[in-house]
Amino acid sequence: MADYDEDANRLTIKLVYYGPAMSGKTTNLMQLHEQLRPDMKGELMTLETQGDRTLFFDLLPLGFRAPSGLLVKFKLFTVPGQVAHDGTRKAVLSRADGVVFVADSQRNQVLNNAESFENLAENAARVGLDFDAMPLVVQFNKRDLPDILSEEEIAERWQGAEWPLVFASALSGEGVSETFSQLLEPVYRHMDETYLLNIDHGLDAASFIKGMGV
Amino acid sequence: MDALHFGDAFDRELSLRELLGAFASERLGRHLAALLGDFRLYDEKKQTVLESGSVAADAPTIDVMLDIEPVGCLQASANIEMLKAAADLVAILLQSQMRYHMASRLHEEQVSHDYQRLQQEHAALLKSELKYRTLAAELEARVQEQVEALKTAERQLYQAEKLASVGQLAAGVAHEINNPIGFIRSNLTSASAYVKDISGLRAAIASGDAKKIVAAWNKADMEFLLEDFQSLLQESIVGADRVARIVSDLKGFSSIDQGKEERIDLNESIRTVCNVAGNRIQQKAQLVLDLGELPALQCQPGHINDVLLAMLFNATQAVGEQGEIRISTAVENGDICVRISDNGCGIAQENLSRIFDPFFTTREVGAGTGLGLTVCRDIVRAHGGRIDVESRVGAGTTFTIHLPLKGR
Repeated sequence: MADYDEDANRLTIKLVYYGPAMSGKTTNLMQLHEQLRPDMKGELMTLETQGDRTLFFDLLPLGFRAPSGLLVKFKLFTVPGQVAHDGTRKAVLSRADGVVFVADSQRNQVLNNAESFENLAENAARVGLDFDAMPLVVQFNKRDLPDILSEEEIAERWQGAEWPLVFASALSGEGVSETFSQLLEPVYRHMDETYLLNIDHGLDAASFIKGMGV
Repeated sequence: MDALHFGDAFDRELSLRELLGAFASERLGRHLAALLGDFRLYDEKKQTVLESGSVAADAPTIDVMLDIEPVGCLQASANIEMLKAAADLVAILLQSQMRYHMASRLHEEQVSHDYQRLQQEHAALLKSELKYRTLAAELEARVQEQVEALKTAERQLYQAEKLASVGQLAAGVAHEINNPIGFIRSNLTSASAYVKDISGLRAAIASGDAKKIVAAWNKADMEFLLEDFQSLLQESIVGADRVARIVSDLKGFSSIDQGKEERIDLNESIRTVCNVAGNRIQQKAQLVLDLGELPALQCQPGHINDVLLAMLFNATQAVGEQGEIRISTAVENGDICVRISDNGCGIAQENLSRIFDPFFTTREVGAGTGLGLTVCRDIVRAHGGRIDVESRVGAGTTFTIHLPLKGR
């Protein structure tokens, strides 16, 4: 449910990084801030943290102009992972156009991942998102740590799920922009269907992704 | 679905005017005027938000940025560096306002989420409270229902136990009656033959010949016949009386007059019960009655007879060969006490406290319902009394029935 403002000639697309506490959602955004080279890049806005933990959300604004002059503006959010902040999580997830689920690859985090994923599905339903149709990429982060689930184990467990799986080490930046571009593909398809990006604005999928400077 | 309306969302796009809010005041205007001289701050739609004096239409203009795009413009006839710096200051102010706005909206969101959850919990609590209230109200009715069901079951069990003792009684009574009926019938057969013999004298008597009559009389051995005839009838009358007495005793056990209270002599009841059960007891044990003088007792005789019979049968089952059962009565402390003692096997200490419990029995399956003593205790309690028991294994058991003469 992107926000298209005809007067301002602006399409605002909201993407949300979801996942259990301490799985590396904020680190993903920090890396994107470093790695992406879009036309327009705002500052990473971090709202109130407690130690390493996000209490409200992080926001990274990015954007570029389509050939038609349309400003395509992205707002990348993270949610607070801790269970207690469910109300905030719900509000941040509201009207999202795509979600990256950042899972923790460590063996002892299997249960937290599952609970958080279930919470994502629940909250999506509560804020009126069609969970099955919504663009979603699952990122298994922290591949650099010892005692993690192997790629085969994860692939086996997620067999049958239709979402793309990406392995990442957000701290070193590995897999972060890959995750993002994997998400941009279905997001473009959805946007193009609704706002005729290609026909009305001369923006095809390749330039959409390129516009973000991936 | 509780999706936010876009107008309310914490992350909606905010206009310059909204962002400045309270800052879009004289105060900010004064500072900007101090820095820039006359100025104009206007939004994307060229609407002036804040101004001081009048600014020339061709004065330099610079964008005021928020995130990645301009939200408005600042125009003043000032040094361009100064203008840039002022626009940047306004941008910093806007950024900070945006953060504040988002955080406070989100906080509101969290609070309302918590509030809704509390409301839901409250509603759930109210519901469960109502449920328990309803349950409490129903409980009384259910207890009544259960009590009724238990009473019915108890009555049925009592009937079952009664039927069982009636069965035992019937076996004894059949034997008792069979015996006199047997010899009465045999006597009647003999009597019938005697009548035939007497008829044989008719021809001799009709001849009027005294000699012939004497000869026929002697031949028929009439002296013996008449004597025996007499004793046959006498014996049969005694037998019939015995049957009549048994039937009369049995009436004490019939249910017809069981509900009625009467004043009775308990010693008489004991004798009746012993008569009814006598045959069965005397096969095994010697029955000794030691009955003291008793005042009349107001009671339900049918029920009391049931108790006495059941305890007598119990004692009979306890004694072995050449056992002795002693029944004594006396008045003690305003109670009539009936002691039923046997010198039988006795009751084990661990069973002694359980013998009055329903369905407790040490007899083989099918041999006892485990209800006899339970029913006895209930009947005695209904008369305001109690049953005491003393027992030693191998030495015998004494049951004492206390029945108060006054009041229940």
